[in-house]
Amino acid sequence: MINLKFNVNGKDVEITVDDSLRLLDILRDELGLTGTKEGCGIGECGACTVIMNGEAVNSCMILAEQVQNAKVETVENLEKNEVLSKLQDAFLDNGAIQCGFCTTGMLMSSKALLDKNPTPSEEEIKTALEGNLCRCTGYVPILNSVKDAVKKYLHK
Amino acid sequence: MKSIRKIDAIPKLNGSWKFLDDYSYKGMIHGQLLYSTCHHGIIKQIHFPDGYDLSEFTMVSAADIPGENIVPEPVCDQPYMADKEVFHFGQVIMGIAHPNRKLLREFISNTSIEYEELPAITDIKECLDNEKNAFGRELTIDHRTGKKPDPNWVHHHKIYYTPHQEQAYLEPQGMIAVWQPKDKIMFVRATCQCPFFVKEGVEAIMGDTIKEAVIETSEGIGGAFGGKEDFPNLLAGITSLLSYKSGKPVKIVLDRSDDIQITTKRHPARIEIETWTDPKTKKIMKIDIDYRLDAGAYQTLSPVVLARGVLHAISGYSIPDAFIRGRLFHSNTPSNGAFRGFGAPQAFAAMEAHIDNIASDLKMNPYKFRKINLFKIGDEFPTTQPILEDHLSNCLERVIDKSNYSKKLKEFKEWNKTHKDKKGIGISIGYHGGGYTGNGEKVLNSEVKVVIEKDAIVKIYVSNTDMGQGAHTTLAQMFFEAIDHPREKCRIQLPNTSKTPNSGPTVASRTIYIIGNLLRKFAFKIKDELGFENLEGYVASNQNEFPREFRMNFVQDPSVVFDDENYVGVAYKDYSWAACVTEIYYHADTYQIELTKSWSVMDIGKVVNQKIATGQAEGGVLQGLAYGLCEFFYKPGYGRMHGFTDYALPTTMDLPEIDVEFIHNDSPIAKGLGEIPMDFPAPSVRNAFHNATGIFINEYPLVPERIYSYMQRATDRHRQTQTV
Repeated sequence: MINLKFNVNGKDVEITVDDSLRLLDILRDELGLTGTKEGCGIGECGACTVIMNGEAVNSCMILAEQVQNAKVETVENLEKNEVLSKLQDAFLDNGAIQCGFCTTGMLMSSKALLDKNPTPSEEEIKTALEGNLCRCTGYVPILNSVKDAVKKYLHK
Repeated sequence: MKSIRKIDAIPKLNGSWKFLDDYSYKGMIHGQLLYSTCHHGIIKQIHFPDGYDLSEFTMVSAADIPGENIVPEPVCDQPYMADKEVFHFGQVIMGIAHPNRKLLREFISNTSIEYEELPAITDIKECLDNEKNAFGRELTIDHRTGKKPDPNWVHHHKIYYTPHQEQAYLEPQGMIAVWQPKDKIMFVRATCQCPFFVKEGVEAIMGDTIKEAVIETSEGIGGAFGGKEDFPNLLAGITSLLSYKSGKPVKIVLDRSDDIQITTKRHPARIEIETWTDPKTKKIMKIDIDYRLDAGAYQTLSPVVLARGVLHAISGYSIPDAFIRGRLFHSNTPSNGAFRGFGAPQAFAAMEAHIDNIASDLKMNPYKFRKINLFKIGDEFPTTQPILEDHLSNCLERVIDKSNYSKKLKEFKEWNKTHKDKKGIGISIGYHGGGYTGNGEKVLNSEVKVVIEKDAIVKIYVSNTDMGQGAHTTLAQMFFEAIDHPREKCRIQLPNTSKTPNSGPTVASRTIYIIGNLLRKFAFKIKDELGFENLEGYVASNQNEFPREFRMNFVQDPSVVFDDENYVGVAYKDYSWAACVTEIYYHADTYQIELTKSWSVMDIGKVVNQKIATGQAEGGVLQGLAYGLCEFFYKPGYGRMHGFTDYALPTTMDLPEIDVEFIHNDSPIAKGLGEIPMDFPAPSVRNAFHNATGIFINEYPLVPERIYSYMQRATDRHRQTQTV
């Protein structure tokens, strides 16, 4: 067992968990944040992407002890007072959501990119989302959403 | 053609939409499947690891089944769990449950099974090249004239191979069963396409021990593409048995590696085509197709895929003398099943490659050769079904025009003369008959239900699921647009077999085509029956009539008359049509094909929701291109695959520019959309590669390893010619 102190979506959390748990399990099973999804469990699909200390990470590849003192952001943090973030809005406008299973991971990878680089090129967007698989959309509306969000950020 | 926002979009964006693994029930324990790691053998013994308290586990095997150990399918030949003999890698032997999922995983991964190994067929060619492996009913379409081919006609005889393809829904297969002993009801929460199939599956395995199985889907179904058509029946059956035996709710969610190893895939095919072409008119005069599918260890729903395959085998060409023979072949791999297109992508992969092979031999432009042979109004399918529209030709003309095909063909030829890397451009066409084949929709007799509440809220009850394709948004839209009712007053209920009538499975591009058009008709019927102009006003002034329930059944058009025995007649009332042009850049040093741009033009009839339809089309086109380019199982029998590490799905970095356009969208009828975008793109990649390099590859996908071996052979042949 391990005692963990970290911050999730702006709230400090202190929790004792089995030290073999992954960040994904802690979020879903211990904290009830089920917006983060498990698609493969081996860091290949990106459905479980969250932002940890400013970086997009596959939460299925992060072990409990790595979470110690970390700052974690999940999809549940994007919508504030029932107002969607600009990025979510862009996904909505571009019809980027089909089955929705990859969506939350896509949002978090995109947010991590835009937090660091508010004006990415098309190649930079593609590279940032390379680790997020989507089987439904063919990626077209997702890439368009991020491009749109860039415009929205610029005109805020 | 309005782009109404998807009803589930916001909860999917904020993470609140619940997928199967997001549900939990009081006292719930976890289940997992123990499956065969042998391709064919007799089970000698199962060794459980030491150090575990076996009394904590619930275990079920074939011996525990109170009902039938046969999964209900079009052909009932697959057991839920193997009894003594296993016939493929991944065959389920036991269901095991425990409160701790992690401990259960450890326990199962340390369990070993001893087999007496028996001969097994795991290689696609070993399966499909040997006539002895044929099993099940043979289908033939016989449109022969009985005349011998003219000796002047040019004969082409080729064999084409297509691979397994993984549906790769991002949400793995999962099921929760909750046994309710008081009412003798087995409640099942499912991520599935066909709740009523799952109901049959649970009731078959449980037999008389339960009164009824009630299936409700999860809110979110994280992709399916055919993969959640029949496997969920088996999974629900075993999960239910575990819940019954343990007396607790049981959840099974497959690990990705288990999912890839044990669930259904697209059928590999071997398609042998012989044609005779008149060199003067450039018309194909006679064709003979031997269409073979690797069904896997059991037939299950393969006959349905075979039917689709033979009915689309000739592609879009009028050939006066045609014979098509379709057969299933047995191998020791998991039963192959439904996957978007089901039989048609294999057919077009072969025939569209064959067309380019003939055109090249006759030194003709592949577009012009297609144009000469393409279906024309008044022609017939080999089943004698008349061709009533020239929309396929319209799609082809449009895509040739917008892709600048003819200009690029010349440009690339020039460019290739001076470059080691090559550029290429290729065409393919396709079509897909909407709904079940022949008399299928009559037999299904789909029913829909609508309840109008006192506050004029319209609740629509259908058993068709929304697995991401936006079906629930589009279905509701078809109803409320017909009677001009506010969209926020129209709701689709979550499919539940005790509340929703059986409107059939969510398969075969039938949801919008059959159920959507039915709902539209239904809306008009209710309007006529009640005699309102405005539903809200009517409900307000006639409160005592509400809530009120309405039901309506689908009635097949009388023109659909099909002889299922001889495959003669009208197989589908309406077809969606498509044509595609794909441009590639071939990297000579790495033997890699880079897709640069792909244009698709489709006729899906009325486009109900432009944004949803475009999204479906773009996603399907990429699946189709990847089927031609990179997706395959490199291990025979594909056992011991680990997931997306060894199965290469396209990522954002592989994405070409994709352009899709719908034509003839002023039609009153919305036709099938689900399958068509997957049906046709693969051969355009192959044909573009041939255009770039002059090398014919008649096997898919065109991965670098395969290209390398073909290039080596071509070099060897060239060397030999020079030596001679």
